[in-house]
Amino acid sequence: MKLNSLWPASGKVRAGLIIVIFFVLLAVFGPMITDYAPRATGNPPLQPPSADHWLGTTQTGQDVFSQFVHGARVSLAVGFIAGVLSQIVSVLVGLVGGYFRGIADEMLYILTAVFLVIPAMPLLIVLTGYLPTRGMISVAIVITITSWAPAARVLRAQTLSLRNRDFVEAARATGESRMRIMFYEVMPNALPVIASGFLFSTIAAILAEAGLSFLGLGSLTTVSWGSMLYFAQNNQALLVGAWWWFVPPGLAIAIIGAGLALINFGIDEYANPRLRTGKSRRKAARPAGRGSAAMSSTAASAAAGAEASSSSSGVSEGSLGGTESTETTDDDASPPQIRGSEVPGDPVISVRDLIVDYPTEDGAVRAVDHVSITLHRGELLGLAGESGSGKSTLTNAITRLLRNPAEVSGGEITYHRSTRTGESTEVDLLNLPAEELRAFRWSELAIVFQSAMNALNPVLRVSAQFDDVLRVHRPGMSAAGRKELAQEMLHKVGIDPERVTAYPHELSGGMKQRVAIAIALVLEPDVIIMDEPTTALDLLVQREVLEQVMQLREEYGFAIIFTTHDLSLLLEISDTIAVMQTGTLVEYGPATDVYSDPRHPYTKTLLSSLANLGARI
Amino acid sequence: MKFLLRKVMLYVFIAWAALTLNFLIPRLMPGDPLVLLMERTEGRLDPGALEAMAEAYGLTDAPLVVQYWDYLSSLVQGDLGLSIGYYPVPVADIVAGAMPWTIGLVGVTTIISFLLGTGLGVILAWRRGKRSDYVLPALTFLNGVPYFWMALILVLIFSVNLGWFPVANAYQPILVPGWNPEFISSVIYHAILPALTIVIGSFAGWVLSMRNMTVTVLGEDYVTMAEAKGLPRRKVLLRYGARNAILPSITGFALSLGAVVGGSMLTEVIFNYPGVGYTLFQAVQNQDFPLMQGLFLVISLAVILANLLADIVYIFLDPRTRAEA
Repeated sequence: MKLNSLWPASGKVRAGLIIVIFFVLLAVFGPMITDYAPRATGNPPLQPPSADHWLGTTQTGQDVFSQFVHGARVSLAVGFIAGVLSQIVSVLVGLVGGYFRGIADEMLYILTAVFLVIPAMPLLIVLTGYLPTRGMISVAIVITITSWAPAARVLRAQTLSLRNRDFVEAARATGESRMRIMFYEVMPNALPVIASGFLFSTIAAILAEAGLSFLGLGSLTTVSWGSMLYFAQNNQALLVGAWWWFVPPGLAIAIIGAGLALINFGIDEYANPRLRTGKSRRKAARPAGRGSAAMSSTAASAAAGAEASSSSSGVSEGSLGGTESTETTDDDASPPQIRGSEVPGDPVISVRDLIVDYPTEDGAVRAVDHVSITLHRGELLGLAGESGSGKSTLTNAITRLLRNPAEVSGGEITYHRSTRTGESTEVDLLNLPAEELRAFRWSELAIVFQSAMNALNPVLRVSAQFDDVLRVHRPGMSAAGRKELAQEMLHKVGIDPERVTAYPHELSGGMKQRVAIAIALVLEPDVIIMDEPTTALDLLVQREVLEQVMQLREEYGFAIIFTTHDLSLLLEISDTIAVMQTGTLVEYGPATDVYSDPRHPYTKTLLSSLANLGARI
Repeated sequence: MKFLLRKVMLYVFIAWAALTLNFLIPRLMPGDPLVLLMERTEGRLDPGALEAMAEAYGLTDAPLVVQYWDYLSSLVQGDLGLSIGYYPVPVADIVAGAMPWTIGLVGVTTIISFLLGTGLGVILAWRRGKRSDYVLPALTFLNGVPYFWMALILVLIFSVNLGWFPVANAYQPILVPGWNPEFISSVIYHAILPALTIVIGSFAGWVLSMRNMTVTVLGEDYVTMAEAKGLPRRKVLLRYGARNAILPSITGFALSLGAVVGGSMLTEVIFNYPGVGYTLFQAVQNQDFPLMQGLFLVISLAVILANLLADIVYIFLDPRTRAEA
């Protein structure tokens, strides 16, 4: 490992580390560079900062700088000790509860809840009120008692989600002891959570110590930032305007708190890439799971490394896609196989030479590379390709749902709008103004998402999710009319119209997908993009939903772009098939031709692997 | 309903745990509180007070179970013992006098800071990646500022230097409390700086958590679908994004209430604001153990109640908790 790879890429984490390291150095070496003992009196009182007394003096003539650096030692030590102790407690409670479940978990859960709900500061005050002696260690222990609970709860949740993962099951199967599984299998995977819990409890402990000392409840024989504030407050530093006395310790607490929080942001962003901002976002601008093979090899391996070690995602699609497509790069040499389409009817969407790039620091990653396809009215275009082939990027470009930082760098997408007279006008989708785009959406092109579990808003009734479409696109419609239409659409997809008042969680997976289809149909669009609409369903339900879609297509005559990695399914239902690999269209033509006479090596490989699997097509 | 029942039971249990903790602390902490009291007050204590304290603790030689029973039965009668510092005023009376100030101050400021922070969080989430992201480090800093220090700075600027606001107290001491305009306006005037302290100290936390949660939710398929539906951006953001992102904030609301209460206690001390925080501070200074415990108990119960209320609100906001199963 190179040394500079230890230096975090995120600016936030860097800033945080610099702050923390600065204060640690200050605490360690600060007391050595000051000539004054922290409690020694005898200097001129209430002096403002000067060359002699860098931060001035107190009312009794103590040197504030000396107190400040000595105070840093106590505050940081208490914070660190309490942070470590409370993390030990929460790791034990969280791991044991989450892993063992059952009665032990119930008890620990309630215990955690008790300490979570009872306010920490009053408990802290009462506990220290009874302490016979208030040393640094006993204060740290008392702070631990009041601060372990939040991290324990988070850890328990993390353990619960980890305990049934494959690698834990595997460890169980090989007969590893529970202790070993907990501490060697589960705990390492919870490390980001533990680290962030440690940072939080350290901040909390520094603040708690300062609060206690400020109330005169800390150890007043040692100098800490809190006790400096206590003496400043008690000696009316405020009223005499001795800002140098009370500004530094509070500012230091706030800055170090911010420093720890910044490091924690880094951990959060590491575990949850959606939170990334600015530079770190751009740096990570690897199209998740798409086109990773097109990256330069160093970037790809770095990305795969980051992916693999990223805490909760486990083995991700992205790294899989990356390795798979590098294995098949030999095929790149083969030219794309584009056959003339014999689909009758007028075109409804045509894509010409579309290029979509994901800019990264090592240059742009091309996720869609000069792709041209034409979708005709009523056609079912099957778009096949593995994860990372660029098929979702392509459909997202058509629906104008590309997320930052993806950008269309070339080509055009045209929608052929049919007018009443039967003629068609061409709409340049990529340059549609915002208002026209909003009007175009759903009324002319709708989408059925991969997983309806996530495509329906969990807090709104089904009726409301029909309603908002109709309110926007059919402003003249009455409330009763909207409800009637929603019920009619549900009836069409084979759902009891009374379920219109149901919430998504009250429906089964198959029903949710039907509802999503019903919502997509409500404005009778010309085109529906179906992004792996059946992948998340079990086989039987998949079949039913598919038949429903085909039946509705007969009735309404909409065109479909159907994406999936299930080629056998596509061969069965599609009119036309487009196969994508690493951002390029490698084979495109009528489904029957592609099946009987695949021309691109990649398609051949896919088809022969289907044959090996014994698929009957 | 089952969800609510389970929550109520949990909070009843937590309340019981708080009561029991309150009973056990003086008995389990190292050292004898009576000895501690005599040492620290160096004989300046009313002999009656000492007796009262022994009685308050039931520090008789009776077995722990009997003491516990006595403790619970006097609690049921609202008897929290007699204060030592203000002997022989009942603790319950002092607590009752302090509670309204704190509930007013903390209640109002918490709601302001929650609304302000959550709203700002949603806006920042919507504008992520833009220049507005640069306020995040500033918010992180604000989030780390100790309340009491913020209070000191505000006093320094607005009271000592500018003279706009009073340095301390909840109302002008010459006024007699009552429901008259003069008194009420004095109360509001005196509350501005403490309230500002608590709002500044706590709103950044809401902003940060709401921003992160909204950013996460904005990546969900249902938000993409709402956008694909052609809904106005505001609707996508509020009805689909924020509406879901606020759920964890409601749970967090209850939990961080504890932190706000803690911070506002210190704020009260700085402003000599006659709420429970200041009273607790004085109780600790006076070694007034019965008052300390009475306050701890009441604060805990109030926070537990607020948690229960937040959970009830949550039931209204998240249909999944109302599931039959």
